Amino acid sequence: MVTSGIFVHPAAWFILGAVLLPIARRLKLQKVVLLAIPIIAFAQIRILPDSFGVCHFMGFELVFGSVDKLTMVFLHVFTVMAIIGSVYGLHVEESGQHMAAFLYVAGSLGTTLAGDYLTLFIFWELMAFASTFLVWYRKRKRSIEAGYRYLLIHTAGGLVLLAGIFLRYQHLHDLTFARIPVESAGLAEYLIMIGFMLNAAVPPIHAWLPDAYPEATVTGAVYMCAFTTKTAVYVLARAFPGFEALAIMGAIMTLYGVAYAVIENDARRILAYHIVSQVGYMVCGVGIGTAMAINGACAHAYAHIIYKALLFMGAGAVLEMTGRSKLSELGGLYKLMPMSLIFTVIGGISISGFPLTSGFISKSMIIAAAGEHHRTGLMIMLTLAAVGTFLSVGIKLPYFVWFAKDNPAVPEAKDPPFNMQLGMAIAAFLCIFMGVYPDFLYNMLPFPVHYHPYSAYHLSETFQILGFTGLGFYLMVKKLAPKDKMNLDLDWFYRRGTQVFMWLARRPLSVANDWVGEVYRTVGLRFTTAMARAMSWFDWHGIDHVIDGTAASVVRGGDELRQVQTGRVQHYVGGAVIALFLLLLVMVLI
Amino acid sequence: MGHIIASLRERSDLFRLLFFAFLAFAVVFDFFAVRHHAHFWGDHIIGFWAFVGLVGCLGMIVIFKGLAKVWLMKGEDFYGN
Repeated sequence: MVTSGIFVHPAAWFILGAVLLPIARRLKLQKVVLLAIPIIAFAQIRILPDSFGVCHFMGFELVFGSVDKLTMVFLHVFTVMAIIGSVYGLHVEESGQHMAAFLYVAGSLGTTLAGDYLTLFIFWELMAFASTFLVWYRKRKRSIEAGYRYLLIHTAGGLVLLAGIFLRYQHLHDLTFARIPVESAGLAEYLIMIGFMLNAAVPPIHAWLPDAYPEATVTGAVYMCAFTTKTAVYVLARAFPGFEALAIMGAIMTLYGVAYAVIENDARRILAYHIVSQVGYMVCGVGIGTAMAINGACAHAYAHIIYKALLFMGAGAVLEMTGRSKLSELGGLYKLMPMSLIFTVIGGISISGFPLTSGFISKSMIIAAAGEHHRTGLMIMLTLAAVGTFLSVGIKLPYFVWFAKDNPAVPEAKDPPFNMQLGMAIAAFLCIFMGVYPDFLYNMLPFPVHYHPYSAYHLSETFQILGFTGLGFYLMVKKLAPKDKMNLDLDWFYRRGTQVFMWLARRPLSVANDWVGEVYRTVGLRFTTAMARAMSWFDWHGIDHVIDGTAASVVRGGDELRQVQTGRVQHYVGGAVIALFLLLLVMVLI
Repeated sequence: MGHIIASLRERSDLFRLLFFAFLAFAVVFDFFAVRHHAHFWGDHIIGFWAFVGLVGCLGMIVIFKGLAKVWLMKGEDFYGN
């Protein structure tokens, strides 16, 4: 494919797939397309050239494909995730959901491969728009509303990013998407960074994530938890490594997400908050910026995508089979949904960083990088977040969904269809495979790895942290019982803000509008008539006098032009061709 | 698969014993773990991370649950849904 000259961009496969899906559904081939496209893309990324798809557009050089080791880690996990997501969603008949998912993946791959800011921006927006449909397809009122909020926030973030891109272009006349040195960063660069940080869900601009993800469809949430935030981690790692702000914000994120995960009630919202926490590790790693920290951020992004998707699949299976996702309405399902329990627990111990799982070999890399860089404060924060992770997702979530009650909360529940279990099984396998054989992941990383996770001290540290966190849960389990409530977060500002706006629109503005209308009817109308009369006088006596002379010359010109027109089509075509040629000549000469 | 988990659940006393045995093992193991890459003072104290794990866990439950109770927790229809 590379040598033939005709080259298909990996994102183009997914766009093609999205177009083919409705037709394939008519032909009963939807499942074939759903599996074939991600598998083709997964195979293709191995043979990508270093640079491709360079084209010139309106004086800009667009680079659709720019590949190095950093790109490859993310391409690899994104295509693997697309395969898992497709398998998990295979039973869904509705083509629209799959189309949205495919376009979303295309946006993510396109962003990852983009070599310039314009290309990046186009795919960035595709990602935002396509993923909104994954929320809307749930078709509940709450989902529709959450989808609108999600779209508006991402549009605002996109505009900040675009403003940064424009400013940067104005200064540098260069749109190449590459590393930005810390000392050269100005307003433009920080605007770009804020645009990226919004998608990485960095507080205080994170609330869209726990707002929208739990309202998405069962299969949609599995895609969403993987792509948006991790694409943002990729672009941050590409452009902003070593920025102190990211290191600090990242460490705060890890604890912020965990705090809400401890108190939340909805299983998928717990997981959504936990994305904030986990992405915090990656953002912090990018901020520390050493080779080991960047390696850690990439490794953690890879591992995280797989186990977080596994957890979302587990919670999604429960939602699909019981129609419930609140912990307070679940419990005692261990006899009825044992396979879902086992897969979710594998996801839970992976995210907590148990030895022999993927979390153990990836998270510790970032913590160790913080330690080696003598950032003790960051290191302690990240470790505390690990405690909260095991507490909230490792123990609390499975305990209150599958145990906690002796009798099942939903007696008719059973394990989900085969394809959903298969999707979970693939992810669970990868979680353990990476834990047992870390070199699979380490060999993909952008820098050479000199880190050995299975040292006696790291094992000892992990045994103690996990063991005694377990003890803490055991002692306080009653305190942790979930309550059927929602928790305030910073989306308060725009959710309350819109309510205030709507009130203003309905009450004072509407009254003011009526009043102005009344004033206009009485005063304005008379004024307008008087003005019209004055204008008409000016038109008759002032303007026409001047115009008459011009009008006569236009009529003369028209007469002459009429004689040029022969009425024959070939003359007109010939004239048009000559005009086009002259236009081209002028453009080339300029 | 369900009944295997159910039968394991009936032996919860055994698991409790195993769990406490593991906690003891974790602390004992720390006496013998060689510290090649100590990053800060905490790495030299035996059982430091056990302390962090337990206190961190209890602290988080108390602080975050407390915050939820006095401030963050609102009714499901807070935003008028």
